[in-house]
Amino acid sequence: MGAYLVERLVFLEWIRTLAGNEQVYFPQPLAESSFHFARVHSSSLLALEDFDDPHRTTIFRASACVPPPARILAPEGEQLFTFRRDGAGDCTLTPVLDSSRRILAGVRPCDLKAIALMDRFQRATIPDPHYLVRREHTLLIGHDCLYPCDRYCFCDAAGSLAWREGADIFLTPQPGARLLVEALTDQGAVLLAGAGFPACGEVEECRARAEARRPDPFGRRFAASLDDVMAAVAKGWDADVWQEQSMRCFSCGTCNLVCPTCSCFDVRDDFSVEDPDSGRRTRHWDGCMLENFAVVAGGHNFRKSPAARQRHRVMRKFVYQPHRFGGTSFCVGCGRCRRQCTVDIDIFEIASELLTAAAEGA
Amino acid sequence: MKAMDPRILTPAMVRIVEATDMTAHERFFRLRLPRPLRHAPGQFVMASIPGIGEAPISICCGPGDHDRLELLVRSAGSLTMAMQQLGAGDQMGIRGPFGTGFDLAEFEGCDVLIVAGGLGLAPLRSLIEPLLAERHRFGRITIISGCRTPADELFRDEMRAWGRAPGTRVIRLVNDTAHLPWDGEVGLVTAPIAGLDIPPATLAVLCGPPVMYKFVIMELAARGLAHDRIFIDLERRMRCGIGKCGHCQINHLTCCQDGPVFRLSAVEALPEALA
Repeated sequence: MGAYLVERLVFLEWIRTLAGNEQVYFPQPLAESSFHFARVHSSSLLALEDFDDPHRTTIFRASACVPPPARILAPEGEQLFTFRRDGAGDCTLTPVLDSSRRILAGVRPCDLKAIALMDRFQRATIPDPHYLVRREHTLLIGHDCLYPCDRYCFCDAAGSLAWREGADIFLTPQPGARLLVEALTDQGAVLLAGAGFPACGEVEECRARAEARRPDPFGRRFAASLDDVMAAVAKGWDADVWQEQSMRCFSCGTCNLVCPTCSCFDVRDDFSVEDPDSGRRTRHWDGCMLENFAVVAGGHNFRKSPAARQRHRVMRKFVYQPHRFGGTSFCVGCGRCRRQCTVDIDIFEIASELLTAAAEGA
Repeated sequence: MKAMDPRILTPAMVRIVEATDMTAHERFFRLRLPRPLRHAPGQFVMASIPGIGEAPISICCGPGDHDRLELLVRSAGSLTMAMQQLGAGDQMGIRGPFGTGFDLAEFEGCDVLIVAGGLGLAPLRSLIEPLLAERHRFGRITIISGCRTPADELFRDEMRAWGRAPGTRVIRLVNDTAHLPWDGEVGLVTAPIAGLDIPPATLAVLCGPPVMYKFVIMELAARGLAHDRIFIDLERRMRCGIGKCGHCQINHLTCCQDGPVFRLSAVEALPEALA
């Protein structure tokens, strides 16, 4: 497909050039050690980590952008349709499908996996056209991780570190401030063909070099295999951990918002302020940790307590969605929910406690 | 997996041909569809008024190759309140049908026991109509319908007519007569079950408020009816109808895709199904 060995600064310059002509999204600093995926331009400041820099002293120190790149494919407030009311009061509705081309660059393996899982979910049974049309017109440039983000990362334990599926181009840091740039799809090959990068003749060696650079263990490790963790969570319906870990939960829903495999939404209708005979329906990020998420007409709440909602969230990642969509854990181990939680509720700890409980019970 | 429909989340605007208040809180709508919906009994549509909102509403007419769509809308929120203002000639946005329904072939030759609480009668009417339309195909039909007071009763004239069909018994109940004239019984929908003859080949169908299921299921279990012969029609918050919004998830199932009609045996092990 094509592999190139490119100086990092040359590659970043190429991204900036692309950004001059296309919608390119790249991790951008928001505040100190906080990054988000944002549209960049030909003059934007871009950085990627260095092969030899385990402490990530470069600007690019945090890789787990908030919100995650998966959310760019289902943006907050996206329009589903617009409507127009005629003189007789009849409405004409026009669906809004976003087929503009986008490039998401610097997507880490955990986020690649999350996007692959969302693709699977959105294609299943009745496909969601608004997501899928946007996804179909989006190219992904993945970026390997040589060092865990921080002490909360457990992507290797969650089976995400080696994920490549979905990336059109994949970057692997190399010594001497260089990058191995590989095209993984035809679209990626086409994009790279015009870049004029020098070909790489030793792809396997480059990959092995990067892999050898990784610390072992890479991030947090469960005391057993991921399959065992998923089985333990499945058996944990009556465990005490839900109550214990939810006593301090504010039900703020941050863990949902920052999760790359959370996609629940609410819809809202609005009339246009300028023209009251027209308007639109939009959808908005929602989360199962919010108190009213499962309330039906008449007021009954199917998940009244924070513990019941916490259990649902964790079960959904390790049990329910895997059961429906291909067996893979929907928790990708990015650590975002723990990192962002005001009261330090940790999905890794919850899963670990359930693992211990299952081992004791067995 | 189905092919992608770019309009799946965009309603079709459908003309209302008849709208009448059935009670102080429920309005009945008949719409004329541009083409038949070909729904199964028990399925639902997402009904909306553009600019106001959208909500899941059970289809309350029987299936078939007709262009009729009947809905009973209870005033519960801003959308359903606004719908009480709609009349003949107005439009309503419709998506669907969605969800699982009843397979009439399975009811062939069986006694059928239908238990409806309050608004639960509306979706079950989509089953009762085809059962009575081909009365000879099915065994004895018993319909138990309960509501709070006589003023809350739905489809009263139709229920009286259903009760006149051969081999069909309709038991109408209120919790409280509220000093209004009443020609039915007083009590909960569970009360008449003890007095019924329920052979093992009976199919029972339940729809009502969450609190109703537990007690009706206990009564039916006491009469020895197997749980794979009991259907429950569940209500959840739904925003999309296509299994994506997450609101209607019941453990690993979604009510809008795997339900709203479930066989009790398929969901009784799920802690969230009847909680």
